[in-house]
Amino acid sequence: MNVRLGACAVVTLALAVAAPYLLNAYGVYLVTLTGIFALVALGLNFLVGYAGQISLCHAAFFGVGAYATALLTEKAGVPYVLSLLVAGLFTTIVSTLVAVPALRLRSLYLAIATLGFGVVLQKIIFEWRSLTGGGGGMQLAPPSVAGHPLTATGLYELTVALLAIGLYGAHNLSRGRTGRALRIIKESETAAGALGISAARYKIAAFAISAFYAAVAGGLFAYLVGYINPESFNVGLSISFLSMVVIGGLGAIGGSIVGAIFYVLVPELLRGFNNDAPGLVFGALLVAVMVFMPRGLWGMGLRLTRRA
Amino acid sequence: MIANLLIGGIAAGSLYAMVGIAIVVVLNITDIANFAQGEMAMLTTFFAYWLLQNVGLPWWQATPLALLFGLVQGIVIQQVVIRPLIGAPTLSAIIATLGLNIVLNSVAGMIWGHETYTFPSPFAFSAPFHLGPVPMSVDSVVNIGAALVIIIAMTLFLRYTWMGLGMRAASQNEMVARLMGVSITRTSAIAWGLGGLIGGLAGILVAPSLFLDTNLMGAILIKAFAGGVLGGLNSLVGVFCGCLALGVTENLAGAYASPAFADAITFIIIIAVLVVRPEGVFGTVRMRKV
Repeated sequence: MNVRLGACAVVTLALAVAAPYLLNAYGVYLVTLTGIFALVALGLNFLVGYAGQISLCHAAFFGVGAYATALLTEKAGVPYVLSLLVAGLFTTIVSTLVAVPALRLRSLYLAIATLGFGVVLQKIIFEWRSLTGGGGGMQLAPPSVAGHPLTATGLYELTVALLAIGLYGAHNLSRGRTGRALRIIKESETAAGALGISAARYKIAAFAISAFYAAVAGGLFAYLVGYINPESFNVGLSISFLSMVVIGGLGAIGGSIVGAIFYVLVPELLRGFNNDAPGLVFGALLVAVMVFMPRGLWGMGLRLTRRA
Repeated sequence: MIANLLIGGIAAGSLYAMVGIAIVVVLNITDIANFAQGEMAMLTTFFAYWLLQNVGLPWWQATPLALLFGLVQGIVIQQVVIRPLIGAPTLSAIIATLGLNIVLNSVAGMIWGHETYTFPSPFAFSAPFHLGPVPMSVDSVVNIGAALVIIIAMTLFLRYTWMGLGMRAASQNEMVARLMGVSITRTSAIAWGLGGLIGGLAGILVAPSLFLDTNLMGAILIKAFAGGVLGGLNSLVGVFCGCLALGVTENLAGAYASPAFADAITFIIIIAVLVVRPEGVFGTVRMRKV
């Protein structure tokens, strides 16, 4: 098993390194976007898949991360990679402010409360015109990393590197104390309490971790598209993030990546037909995946490989 | 001034309440938060528009036919998409309804395109109605009246008919309801049908004051969920009052605090209420066994 896993890792690594040389500019853009979404989904999976909480404000965290990174890099002259980290930490603090009042809420109540926080955060970005440029958005020039302007390939490589670190972190967290605690909390908070696990503390931790992932991804996203405005970080995007996690597979790290690939790739393959055809097929696929594989694509894959 | 704002808020809240009731009927009986409710209503409204403009029916014939369409649509969707999902994780079912949402939106886009239409209103040129010194537009009166009729009819239906009783039994304990001879598939089909009907009515009522396009119900759906959560999702009256309160708050916040932050203020109030009452104002805590 470990040999096979190692071989998989080597092949993936080789493909990841070779990708920018095999693909055209648009292809690199798509792969980078997939990586960024995978990063968000990885973090969100902690909250949704492991802790069993729901969030509709991760697009706002993604947006706060994007704006914080852009402002630090453009206006304060902080080096890009450092500002990614600082923006991530800043958003983590913001997310704790969201998590504390949300602690008592469950299911749909939590969904609506987090949705409300998303609306408020988005509104703050929109109305703080002197800092963020309001609805006009921010135009971003490629940042310089180590004295050179960051190219598309550079950004791709940075995304892959961060995704690898994110995967490693997620793997460790999920198998360690935190992952186990979150799984019990999902099953029953009372049982967790009886075992001496503070549900509140771990839920806040799950919120914070997922917000950190989302914010770093947001910082990458800002410079991938080169232009950000508050409108793009709306509830629709939050719902898309949530769908990625569920389609890929709740509580499976690999599922987050599969979900992100599904979300970027499928609409891309359907482009060029009638305007509404992609939506129709994509929506129908979402329904079909959920009807035939309620545990997501990853869960289905696992079942098939185990049977074989 | 304040009376006008209140009436306007209640009228808007009545529309949210109709969608909210549609959502809650489905939610309580099938345990699925139906995010496709808005697009189902939008499709019903387009069907009504087609009956009015292309077939040329008068509104009093077109509306019942469109509502029938809403009912059948709900039942068909329940049978085709939702039935296989019984027993799946809740989130999977929610994502399936989101997929359905995209499908219905695309279907409407394919048939009617994404341009906006003006939906004719039979009350457009009627003189405003006077409640004491306060003028009320006939649209508002109709909205409020329709919401009241629906909440009363639904309450009576769930309390005093066999079918309603069966539905409430199914929502409390599926197993026991089954043993008592309640067909779960039939009750959930009825719930979805009623949801489609009530949501469709909300769509037809809201269309004249907005423009009819494929995004007709997006914002209203979210407001309906928010109002429902505010009132408490397991109480019909709670949802009704929550949605009305939401409409009024929105109007007052827009007028007195800041138009730009009206939505944000409304949500802050909702969050503040939920911090104190996590199950909504009228909601009751369901006991959960460990």
